[in-house]
Parts: sequence; C-alpha cells; structure tokens
Amino acid sequence: MHIIKLNKQIKKRFIFLLIIFICFSSSIFLISYSLKDQIAYFVEPTDLKGMNELENKYLRVGGLVKENSLKFIDGSWVFEVIDQNKNSISVVFSKTLPNLVEEKKGIIVEGKLINNTFIAEIVLAKHDENYMPQSAIDKLKEEGKWRGD
Amino acid sequence: MFAITPNTLSTFMNSISKYIVLLSLLLIGIAAFLIIFIENDYYQGISFKIMFIHVPAAWLSLAIFLAMGISSIIGLIFKSPTAFTIARSLSPIGLIMSIVVLVTGSIWGNLTWGAYWVWDARLTSMLILAFIYLGHILLLYSFEHFQKADFAASILAIIGMVNLPIVKFSVDWWTTLHQGSSVLRIGGPSMTNDYLITLLVSFLGIFMLTMYWFSNIFYIIIEKRKIMRSKLLND
Repeated sequence: MHIIKLNKQIKKRFIFLLIIFICFSSSIFLISYSLKDQIAYFVEPTDLKGMNELENKYLRVGGLVKENSLKFIDGSWVFEVIDQNKNSISVVFSKTLPNLVEEKKGIIVEGKLINNTFIAEIVLAKHDENYMPQSAIDKLKEEGKWRGD
Repeated sequence: MFAITPNTLSTFMNSISKYIVLLSLLLIGIAAFLIIFIENDYYQGISFKIMFIHVPAAWLSLAIFLAMGISSIIGLIFKSPTAFTIARSLSPIGLIMSIVVLVTGSIWGNLTWGAYWVWDARLTSMLILAFIYLGHILLLYSFEHFQKADFAASILAIIGMVNLPIVKFSVDWWTTLHQGSSVLRIGGPSMTNDYLITLLVSFLGIFMLTMYWFSNIFYIIIEKRKIMRSKLLND
C-alpha cells in the first residue's frame, strides 16, 4: 500500500518537472527562432544582395580575404571580402589590422556600406577550427593532399 | 543513488580522494610537458596553446551543469538528499570553470581576433551559463533551511539545462566569431593527433582535479551539517 502511494507521488513530481522543462525550453526555442537574424553575428556578401536600403546601415560582414586583394593605399588598408558563393565586397579600413588578418583567411568587418564600398570601423580576424603544426602541412604538401594555400 | 546516504558517499570519496589528486597532478604534469614541447599552430603561432586550458574548462563547465541538472531531477523526484548534496557541491566548481573559460577565451580572443569580447551567440550563452551558476549558488545560501534552498536551486538547475544545447550548438546554428567545434563534431576531430592527445591528457587531469575538489566540498558540507545538528541537540 505504502509503495503504491510513493509511486504516485513520484509520477506526480516527474510530470511537474517535465511540464516546467517543456514550457521553458519551448519558450527559449521560440525566442531564439524569432530573433535568429539578430543572434547571427555577421552576414555574408551573398546575403547583402537580398537586403534593401543598405546605404548608411551599420553592418557586420564576414567571409574570407580575397587572394591578391590586400593592399595598403594612401594610409588605409583596401581588400575584398569574398564568400563561398564567390560574391564579394570591397572594404576600406584606416586603422591597424589584427595580426592574423591574411589573404584567404577568415575576417569580419564592421561598418557602413557607402557607394558600394564598405567603410570598416572595426576589423576582426576569424580563425577556423583546424589546428595543425607546420610540419604536418609540409607532409601533406609533399603527398599532394593539402587543399589550403 | 537512492540507497546511498550522503555520509557513506562522503566517507567513500574521502578514502579515494588522495589517489585522485595524485593522479590528477601526474596528468597535469604530463599535459604541461606536452603543451610546452608540441609544435605551434601554423597560423595562430604560440597563442593557440591556451586552447589546452580553455577547451577542457569549457567541456567541464557544460558537463558539470549536466550532472547538476540530472542530480537535481533525481533529487526532486525521489527526494534524495544525496542527489541534492551532489548538486550543491558541484555548482561552485562549475562557476570557477566557466570563469576560467571566459578569462582564457578573452585572452585568446584578443591575441587572435583582435577583441577581448564580442556579443556573439557562443560568448553570450557562455556568460549566461556563468550567471546561472552564480544564481544557483546565491539561491542555495539565501534560505534558512537547506531543504528549501535545495528545492529552489534544483528548479533553477533544471531550467538552466535549456542553455546547454544552446552553448554547444550556437556555433552551428548561428554565424559567430567563435570558431566551430574541433573535437566533438561530425566528421571527426579537426586537429592532428599530437594536439588531440595533449588536449585529452589535459582534460583528464583537470577533470580529476575537479573530482578531488568535488569530494572535498561534499565532505565539508556533510561535516558542517553534523556540527549544526549536534549544536541543535545540545541547546
């Protein structure tokens, strides 16, 4: 008799917790789903094509620095940010670049698009999740398996 | 877990804790040796070596919260004092781990990205995790009777578990400045074996250290309660 009563209580508590958990997780899911454009830290140059009224809007654009595009002209850095779909924007940045900004490496630029040129105020280097020593790369290059730069 | 009393668990952990701390110091020593002598990353140079503290601490801060949530569920459903005490002794360790993650991450971020802090999804959700840990600790010590505190804090731990998948998968669901997962990801680890071994040794060492720390906190909580009880009986 006692055991049956206990089981009932356990079931009751379990259902109580399940309801709490489902309510909170679904509310968090709905919030993050409806805010997903705001939660995204940056957009890619391809996404810019589908956006209206880009002029003078503060944006973050991310991608790779295009090959042979990084130059220092008249006291400011000029380069192009390209994404996987080969869409790109040209960027002008007049401060010091972070150490890890290199061609064919990830970058995020923050600023405004004026006359189809992105005037960046902040530039961040974005490194990927691949870690490798130089010796492993040399070995891969010898075997012809290296797909990077 | 339902039959084990907090006292027996405390005695058992106390008896093996000195072996655990020796093992952890040994593993951390090996990890430190490996971290010093492995090659630098081809792109980030020496600054990527902070990963061997950052990543274990991040895994542990998530795993400790998961353990806390599960023991809170068991505690609430089965009214198990052992489970409540486990959750109670885990939260300070989790808070320290998440602070370690945030601090080492800031240092690493400044060296590589060029910013100490940005408000992207991974960093923000990790900060929220640290705040939930802090809230859990504050709830535990804001009641006169520890049973009430355990009840309130357990609800917070269970609700807070919603944040765990957000922290883990934030880099896949949204665009972030933070890089994606390197080890626990589809397609296998994206680092060479020497880095992976160093990371795992470092993780095991820090994990053993948290276990030792956990057994100590557990022991202190149990002993404090014994003293309180004897004081009440004497009065």
